[in-house]
Amino acid sequence: MARSLQLSLTVNGEAVELSCAGYKTLLEVLREDLGLTGTKHGCELGECGACAVLIDGTPQLSCLVLAAECEGRAVETVEGLSRGAELHPLQAAFADLGAAQCGYCTPGILMTAKALLDNERMPDRERIKEAVSGNLCRCTGYQQIFEAIEEAARRLEHESHR
Amino acid sequence: MKRALSPAETPQVGRSLPRLESWLKVTGRAEYVHNLRLPGMLYGRIFRSSVAHGRIRRLDVSAAQAVGGVHRVVSAADLKGIVPDPYYGPAFHDQPVLAVDKVRYVGEPVAVVLAADPHVAEEAAHLIVAEYEELPAVYDELEAMTSKAIVHDALKPAGTFPDLKHLKGRTGTNVALDFHLRRGDAAQALAAADRVFEHRFRTQQVMHTPLEPLVSVAESTDSSLTIHTASQSPSFVRIEVARLLGWPENRIRVRVPFLGGGFGAKLYIKLEALVAVLSLLTRRAVKISLTMEEQFFTITKHASSFRIKSGVTRDGRICARECEVWWNGGAYADIGPRVTQKSGFTAAGPYDIEHVAIDSYALYTNLPPAGALRGFGIPQLVWAYECHTDMMARELGIDPIEFRRRNLLRDGRPQATGTLMRDAAIEKVLDRLAVLLEWNRPFDRGTGVVRRGRGIAIGFKACVSPTTSLAAVNVNGDGSCIVYCSTVDMGQGSDTAMAQIAGEVLHLPAETVRVVHSDTDVTPYDMATLGSRSLFHMGNAVKLAAEDALKKLNQLKSELQMPPDAAIPEIFKKKYGMQAGNVVGTGSFIPSYAPPDYATGLTSDATPFWMVGGSGVEIEVDTETGRVRVARLVNVADVGTPINPKIVETQLSGAAIMQLGFTLFEKMLFDEHGQLRNASLAEYKIPGFLDMPEEIINEAVSAEQRSGPFGAKGVGETGTFGVSPAIANAIHDAVGVRLTVLPLNPESIFMELQKAK
Amino acid sequence: MPFELAEPRSLREAIASLDAKDPSVRPISGGTALMLMMKAGVLRPSRLVSLGKLGLAGIRTGPGGELRVGAMTSLRTIEKSEIVRKGWPVIARTLRTLANVRVRNVATVGGHLAHADPHMDLPPVLSALGARVTIAGAAGERSIPVEELGTGYLETSIRLDELITLLEVPPLGGRSAAYLKCTTRSADDWPAVGVAVSLDFQGDSIREASVVIGAATDKPTRLAAVERILVGRKLDENLLDEAATQELSVEGDLHGSAAYKKQLIRVYLRRAIHEARAQSR
Repeated sequence: MARSLQLSLTVNGEAVELSCAGYKTLLEVLREDLGLTGTKHGCELGECGACAVLIDGTPQLSCLVLAAECEGRAVETVEGLSRGAELHPLQAAFADLGAAQCGYCTPGILMTAKALLDNERMPDRERIKEAVSGNLCRCTGYQQIFEAIEEAARRLEHESHR
Repeated sequence: MKRALSPAETPQVGRSLPRLESWLKVTGRAEYVHNLRLPGMLYGRIFRSSVAHGRIRRLDVSAAQAVGGVHRVVSAADLKGIVPDPYYGPAFHDQPVLAVDKVRYVGEPVAVVLAADPHVAEEAAHLIVAEYEELPAVYDELEAMTSKAIVHDALKPAGTFPDLKHLKGRTGTNVALDFHLRRGDAAQALAAADRVFEHRFRTQQVMHTPLEPLVSVAESTDSSLTIHTASQSPSFVRIEVARLLGWPENRIRVRVPFLGGGFGAKLYIKLEALVAVLSLLTRRAVKISLTMEEQFFTITKHASSFRIKSGVTRDGRICARECEVWWNGGAYADIGPRVTQKSGFTAAGPYDIEHVAIDSYALYTNLPPAGALRGFGIPQLVWAYECHTDMMARELGIDPIEFRRRNLLRDGRPQATGTLMRDAAIEKVLDRLAVLLEWNRPFDRGTGVVRRGRGIAIGFKACVSPTTSLAAVNVNGDGSCIVYCSTVDMGQGSDTAMAQIAGEVLHLPAETVRVVHSDTDVTPYDMATLGSRSLFHMGNAVKLAAEDALKKLNQLKSELQMPPDAAIPEIFKKKYGMQAGNVVGTGSFIPSYAPPDYATGLTSDATPFWMVGGSGVEIEVDTETGRVRVARLVNVADVGTPINPKIVETQLSGAAIMQLGFTLFEKMLFDEHGQLRNASLAEYKIPGFLDMPEEIINEAVSAEQRSGPFGAKGVGETGTFGVSPAIANAIHDAVGVRLTVLPLNPESIFMELQKAK
Repeated sequence: MPFELAEPRSLREAIASLDAKDPSVRPISGGTALMLMMKAGVLRPSRLVSLGKLGLAGIRTGPGGELRVGAMTSLRTIEKSEIVRKGWPVIARTLRTLANVRVRNVATVGGHLAHADPHMDLPPVLSALGARVTIAGAAGERSIPVEELGTGYLETSIRLDELITLLEVPPLGGRSAAYLKCTTRSADDWPAVGVAVSLDFQGDSIREASVVIGAATDKPTRLAAVERILVGRKLDENLLDEAATQELSVEGDLHGSAAYKKQLIRVYLRRAIHEARAQSR
């Protein structure tokens, strides 16, 4: 059996130290060791995006990343998206516009969209498509997800002018 | 989020209220069985058959058992003490909890490794060795009709459906059910018709791919069993597991939180019997989470073949129709026989045809089982009859919409079964499609490499019947309200709809109504969340329960001699001297139904309501590659009066995009040994963001289902009906080739274009 | 799947951690492909050698104007690089539709090339551009054309104890290049065919042509007959169609039959040439 690894990283702004088996994926460590079950197992092949989280601000697939490779890095999950009791504008727009149906793919799409809106103020639909393509949703037919991301961009823009 | 409890000023039905559980879902807090971990829990990993049909000669689990950390390896032989007859299923008791003596498809569960660490269970499962004596196998539904390879030695129908009883003990056949309908004399009318058209169509086997793969957890005590499961049918799970164990229902509790998608994949009983017996065997909590890959070996959508023949009069009236449909049910019946019969009712399409003959066959083959998938067989039928309709119209030189209009089944007319059409806005749907597609305006078909075309299709469905829903509505001392029902919210928004219905009756804002999730210890019986039945059946039950609660409150008011406008909390305060007590209203709903006559398939009451949906598309075909781009997709439906228009719209678009995948590329590909070649999302592609049509319109026509709650009826499947044939019709419109086999992938279109040259 | 994870701090140490004879010892860079192989049970490693701390990431231009990309540079970094966008726009364009952004954020160019999955987009593009890779081993460094990297399906000429350290792409100069791919199932599927062309136009004729296809064959394949037809004369599309597939052994797979893929090669070759020509104007 492989020795376990000592790991320190930042998760949703909090420093975390843990030891885990070297073969564990970041997804397994988030869900099993840290109890952050918002991020989901989907296809396990990097095809569906249900496991997407931000690592050092960029969206990555936690089912394909070894936890050991995240030493010293900053991980953000859906649990860290809200601002205290207040929803992030993306979360609010997804809720208001019906972009979350069964909700299973939602955390992965929210985190991917967050990375987009962190870098671009008002992305057009082509940019949104490019950013979230490969995040699969079997329920919505995608229309409402586009609309929610656009709405969130508008709300963020409005906030920045306040 | 605390809101004041004040009588709602606006009507609750008809509000586009965001889903009540949205906060939970956007914060990642929604509860799924996927997240559940119990103390001392074991993880099960399934070892599966590698042959399509064979007798198990030897099963060697010793190496797996010897792996450090393996708790136990279990095969069918270990189950005997717990389940004497380990066969389950909703229509037939044909599916073993684990393979007994024989395997009948590649991927069938044969043994399970249990370990506290799922990685250990997975590693050990690789070490199990099975040897099979291979038996002849059959994969094609048409071949299965006459094949010498017989999947089941004898048919074992469940006792629950009276119309299946005659099949009991039948041997030497792969036909699990045959349904026949005879109305008038189709053969004679065809002989007398001015024109006769006959076509054959096929559909492929596909899979639901809910993003949360099937998952169940069981925990047990000396006398009880609790099953936490991602199921669309908790009441059925309880009844079926109780039957297998020979237990009373009250010793089994089935809990269902949210589902990460269902679409029919999580119906009836899937992993539940297995985790139940594993937990009883080990006295530990046991969880089995399928991988995405394993879902393909669990439940699928029927492949089908359809022969359709129509006689048409000189003036373009369809006077006779013959339909023969063969359903590839795979190795276990699941609900296939019901799909065969219920869809058989409407196989002749939404047209007023005097002479109809329908034969519909459920067939066993050596493929993964097929069951219900968003439409219960209807999309397969609409695919065939709406291509057929277009082909006839074009041959006759009649505009496809005009041809349909001439033959449309209108309210008050008898449908093929003899049941009179009521509250089915078929004509409105067709008219609205024509308007939204601007059908009468000139359409540019292009002249270069890329050609453009447009097409439409309409379909209808008889909602499955008879089925029962019960609900309870509890009004608390402060006037707040809780709804108890076993409808499962798998993303379709049922919690929100039920809250709106209860709120409407009790004059409460829907946001303040709590809906308790399925828990068979708490929530009353419901047949299942399937077939777009919940809004109608459970909606009626919740409405009755809320009305019952209201009636009881009013009775209390008069008993206590309170004025009619007395607030609810005042009633309780007066009755109990303080804020205490509650009033529980109950509602039970089962619609009327007359079973079809066995010989003729005719019935005066086939369904409580009709679902009507149509789609229109504008597409582009690249004539050098056969690639199709959908530029516009218009979906129109009769959903009665929507309870929540926004959710209706999202249900229509979601269903249509799902069907777009089934139309253009999704296909389970098997090799000549029945091995599935693409059991993963890397090789079985579903539509993504980039596959969205440029423009998509979803619309409900103004309509009313008079027997529905506040005029509403189901919508979950309606958006699927017309998509496939509309696209095939548009391809024909664009480039003049006719595809009769799904999916309409670029290669098959290109090959047809080559043939046409 | 228990295995040991080594995290060397230097190239020398990394190479020493590899094993010339043991295929269960593997380097891991972004890991997106490796993790899939492990999950599929195709690879059961005893030791993974992480390359994350070797400082092999970075993009710059060399003295001869060539593009120099460290092997551990993520595909996303290359896609967003101003140097790449200006000097080698075909690479940036290709990357935009390669897998998806979450994969590109993690996958590295070295891993991408070493994986040698024939469905990958960059190998045909880089081969058409005449790119080279530097490979380091215990005996020192060697440089080979990207074109010679792949030897078959998931097979390369890299030895078990070697690593790709650097990618070098010569300046485009007067050439214009295009890459087109075709998916036959969902839009974000792996391609059925990818066609990369690098053409040096002189008026209506072509002075130099480099044409490499991917996905349809078990490794990226140069279409030499096509190149011969293209160079020095006026474009004849019939000749081109014939030459496009004459030397190829195309294999049918889940994306399409061999016959259909050949048709796609013919069509996409023509379209890629037209696109390159449009850019040259």
